[in-house]
Amino acid sequence: MATTRLEQPKGGFNFDNYQRNVFLENKGIPVPKMTKTGTTIVGLIYKDGICLGADTRATAGPIVADKNCEKIHYLAPNMYCCGAGTAADTEFTTALISSQLELHRLTTGREARVATALMMLKQMLFRYQGHIGAALVLGGYDVTGPHLYTIHPHGSTDKLPYVTMGSGSLAAMAVFESKWRKDMERQEAIELVREAIESGIFNDLGSGSNVDVTVIEKDKVDVYRNYAKPNERGVKEQSYKFKRGTTAILKESIKDLVIITEGIEEMDIS
Amino acid sequence: MTDRYSFSLTTFSPSGKLVQIEYALNAVAQGVTSIGIKATNGIVIATEKKSASPLIDDSSLEKVANVCPNIGMVYSGMGPDFRVLLSKARKAAQKYKRIYNEYPPTGILVKEVASVMQEFTQSGGVRPFGVSLLIAGYDETGPALYQVDPSGSYWAWKASAIGKNMINAKTFLEKRYNDDIELEDAVHTSILTLKEGFEGQMTENSIEIGIIGGTTTGFTEGKERPLFRKLSPLEVRDYLT
Amino acid sequence: MSILEYNGGAIVAMVGKNCVAIGSDKRFGVQLMTVSTEFPKIFPATDKTFIGLPGLATDIRTLSERFRFKINMYKLSEEREIEPRTLAHLVSSTLYERRFGPYFVEPIIAGLDKDNQPFICGMDLIGCINFAKDFVVAGTTTDSLFGVCESLWEPDLEPEDLFETVSQSLLNAVDRDSLAGWGAVIHVVTPERVITRTLKTRMD
Repeated sequence: MATTRLEQPKGGFNFDNYQRNVFLENKGIPVPKMTKTGTTIVGLIYKDGICLGADTRATAGPIVADKNCEKIHYLAPNMYCCGAGTAADTEFTTALISSQLELHRLTTGREARVATALMMLKQMLFRYQGHIGAALVLGGYDVTGPHLYTIHPHGSTDKLPYVTMGSGSLAAMAVFESKWRKDMERQEAIELVREAIESGIFNDLGSGSNVDVTVIEKDKVDVYRNYAKPNERGVKEQSYKFKRGTTAILKESIKDLVIITEGIEEMDIS
Repeated sequence: MTDRYSFSLTTFSPSGKLVQIEYALNAVAQGVTSIGIKATNGIVIATEKKSASPLIDDSSLEKVANVCPNIGMVYSGMGPDFRVLLSKARKAAQKYKRIYNEYPPTGILVKEVASVMQEFTQSGGVRPFGVSLLIAGYDETGPALYQVDPSGSYWAWKASAIGKNMINAKTFLEKRYNDDIELEDAVHTSILTLKEGFEGQMTENSIEIGIIGGTTTGFTEGKERPLFRKLSPLEVRDYLT
Repeated sequence: MSILEYNGGAIVAMVGKNCVAIGSDKRFGVQLMTVSTEFPKIFPATDKTFIGLPGLATDIRTLSERFRFKINMYKLSEEREIEPRTLAHLVSSTLYERRFGPYFVEPIIAGLDKDNQPFICGMDLIGCINFAKDFVVAGTTTDSLFGVCESLWEPDLEPEDLFETVSQSLLNAVDRDSLAGWGAVIHVVTPERVITRTLKTRMD
């Protein structure tokens, strides 16, 4: 019993290092930067459901930390959620709510509603007063039809037919404002989402690389990872392989993982 | 005599017994029979669904339950106690997943549930759980079937039975079981075993069956893996005829 | 100054053909003063998995022990070795638990899984995982390492070639970082063996 208990945290956050880190901060050493998703994330409602889109760039300050990260997170079989802001926060907040939704599904014996996920997310974010830096676009299809929401880090929410978030939200919204129509066809919707994300990718420095798209319809979800790759890397003109032996070695140790039995004759035990 | 040592529910009797655990086992032995069979490619768990009155809407009863996508369980004994364990098991599975981003292997989940049951034989102010469980799971090591008793002890089985008819059912299973039984056959065998001690007519509404393995795979978060699922009354009817 | 720059250090991991390599410098300093040149920042997790912890030295020590504990406990209770991907999530959730009072490390995990498929990933200090298919870098030399790896890395390098690429990337990047260097160590993990080499480097 004790063994399984020890390795598992009790749940909730641990503040043991907090005092130390505040002390350092007061000495002029700020807490280092975390991975952010500068991000363009969007969602729209079309005739048969919801289409979500996201770029795939993660940044640490001005540096591109991840060129192809996933920002459309799984919440439930009928629900997905795009995340912008502090990357770890979007990742863990959606994972936690996804876990709670699964328990909800098991106890109620039916699919959870999008409004349920919305309340869980916004209540959690509000509880942490904006310290959990997750800006989300929540989309899903339940018994009451398709739903699309945005959730801000402080817990406020909006329900709109087309939404954008993240640093590229203005670029993406410009596309939506000029081209979104009611009751679009599926392929039209996907293409509009792609265009909105690409607008973010090319006009916002916090967004970049590829376009991820997820389409949610009644009882059907399609995840298009890297739906468009407008920034593929060119092929290198030349190989930069070093000649073996270039690096000077001081010491070498080899640990064999496989016991080589080749050549050893089997013992005659007859 | 035993009364003297019942002042605390968790005190040994001079003979070394914990009578409360024995009483709990009695509660299990009065419970409705449940069967579990491990096949080469999966597991089946099955139980009778007996309602006290024909007026009860038995479609609302759930005895075979999902713990997480790859694990399911069934009980014999006290229904309310089972619900508590089920909810604890589900939470344990989610807790594991929040750390490792994967569902627990069957053995780990069983250990977790068993340790909860053990705790209730040693804590103050509580009584042991009046249930035995059959836990069926599929992980990367393949299918596994476990039985957990009120004392918190657990074993892996090829086939097992718990509840009222367990002795006869086990004898029956011993005769019927072979090591290369497949899931389809195992489902039939489990039904036959249940029929052994069944009172009245067996219908799709009077038994519950859960399976994992075989063709029941599904996508959870992008990966295809075996899923535990309950057979619908329609599917059960197909097996019965 | 960022606290991640207090002690200095550089770690890089790369994927090759059925192999991975992870390397780090060996310097332990206090700002610009070098205190030790034998400070390991890469720790074995299993036979075929390593975990690299660049950042604040005190937290490297604490976390390397905590992870050793967790990995051993996992092995005992699950009766199997932890997979690199599972380890990544374990490390990640451990760091995120301290979201509001983090350890100052940016771990890197490199290893082969049970099917001998290469796995590498990097993380920020609160556990946001970066699953990379090519290379990951961390530490004070991040910026230069990104540049050099971006041009030197190519797919499907054999273990010996991967060793040269990792070594040269690290060595040359570290030459432009006053806080890292003073010796380097590289581990190359293949299905058959783990090759550990200490490199000859500039000592200034």
